[in-house]
Amino acid sequence: MHASLWQGIKLVFGKEFTLGLRFKAAWSTMFMFALTTLACVSLALQGAPLEPELAAALLWIILFFAAMAGADRGFADEDTAGTLLTLQIYGSAQTVLWGKMLYTCFLLVCLTFFIVPLFLLLLGAEVAAGGVLAGTLLLGDVGIAAAGTLIAALTTGAQVKSGLFSVLMLPVILPVFLPAIFLTAGTLGSGQLPVHYLLGMALYDGVLLAAASVLFDYLWYED
Amino acid sequence: MGALLGILTLLTIGLVFFVVPPAEGLGYYVRLAFLHIPVAWVAVLAFLISAYEGARFLRSGELVADAKSAAAAQLGFIFVILATVSGAVFSKLTWGAYWNWDPRQTTIFVLLLIYGAYLTLRGAMPAGRRRAKVAAVYALFSFLTVPFLVFIIPRLYFSLHPSPVLNGSGLAMDTIMLAVLMAALADVTGIFYWLFRRQTKRLLAEGENL
Repeated sequence: MHASLWQGIKLVFGKEFTLGLRFKAAWSTMFMFALTTLACVSLALQGAPLEPELAAALLWIILFFAAMAGADRGFADEDTAGTLLTLQIYGSAQTVLWGKMLYTCFLLVCLTFFIVPLFLLLLGAEVAAGGVLAGTLLLGDVGIAAAGTLIAALTTGAQVKSGLFSVLMLPVILPVFLPAIFLTAGTLGSGQLPVHYLLGMALYDGVLLAAASVLFDYLWYED
Repeated sequence: MGALLGILTLLTIGLVFFVVPPAEGLGYYVRLAFLHIPVAWVAVLAFLISAYEGARFLRSGELVADAKSAAAAQLGFIFVILATVSGAVFSKLTWGAYWNWDPRQTTIFVLLLIYGAYLTLRGAMPAGRRRAKVAAVYALFSFLTVPFLVFIIPRLYFSLHPSPVLNGSGLAMDTIMLAVLMAALADVTGIFYWLFRRQTKRLLAEGENL
């Protein structure tokens, strides 16, 4: 990768990280959404055992909607603060996209580290293949970050924002979401562990990253 | 063109009800397939056209391409609803349940979600070049799901759905049925093309994409 591009990506990542720590809105919304949802499920179950398929689906629903609650702010906050134009003048499209994508991925990995141990603890689930679960979660996070960053840029300027991000995200992310649920169910003991799905997820993540990179130029630069 | 399509539609309906023989295992329920298969085909075709016109808009900046992309998606949404409903009824009549997440039901449902998302996005943006650009990018981005829907989903789920008419072993359909199906496909594709042209003109006339 070109040195100046990498330098720019690091700068955008640093800016996002600093602002994230200063205002904390995205962090607290995501973490509290995940925690509240998990607590509701756990309270409702009252310790009753959950089938691995159901547990896996629940985990990914929590992760997906918690991500939706925080990852949609990437460009909307810049727009509201009036800094989007400055970023457009000083930052190249690829620098901004990859910097923000990296930050969103970092945010999602932190969320995963927070919620998955709690999920396993509160629902009493046991992991049979920790490595596969870690790989699945990481690939899932990368996919959500790749699609989420581009879609966050799409929704900037939309008159109705509430719910729009999730509506646009779900169809695009399903190819990551469904194999992730299958694999997670396998690691929680459903009997089947189709490890080759990981390759499919990685391939689709790669396609999402490449497509986001190509298409973002059209959004970033005015005619 | 409208009159010609009207005649072809009446002719196709006549063929379906009076010429097509009952199918083995399905009886006269097979008549529904002559609606279901063509509308499902057009739903996919409209998706391809919408993405293609979106790409054309991004390359050339012509607002006609945006109007065509929007028109294809609007019509595709109607056809995908028809495909979903006719498929669910067919499923109830043959398998005993309206919905069981069969791979093809999943595929058509994802297509329904994409159309819905595309139209929601257009509805949430003020008309203009920005909306055209955003809609085109989303049409192309969501098009990435196609290989997954076609190749991966069928491997994830068990299917009761009949094999495609054209499969690896050649044609798997009675000759009369196949001829009528081809007529129905031509008819519904023609209806889509007719509506597509009218809708594109209407959108351009209304300044919908300006």
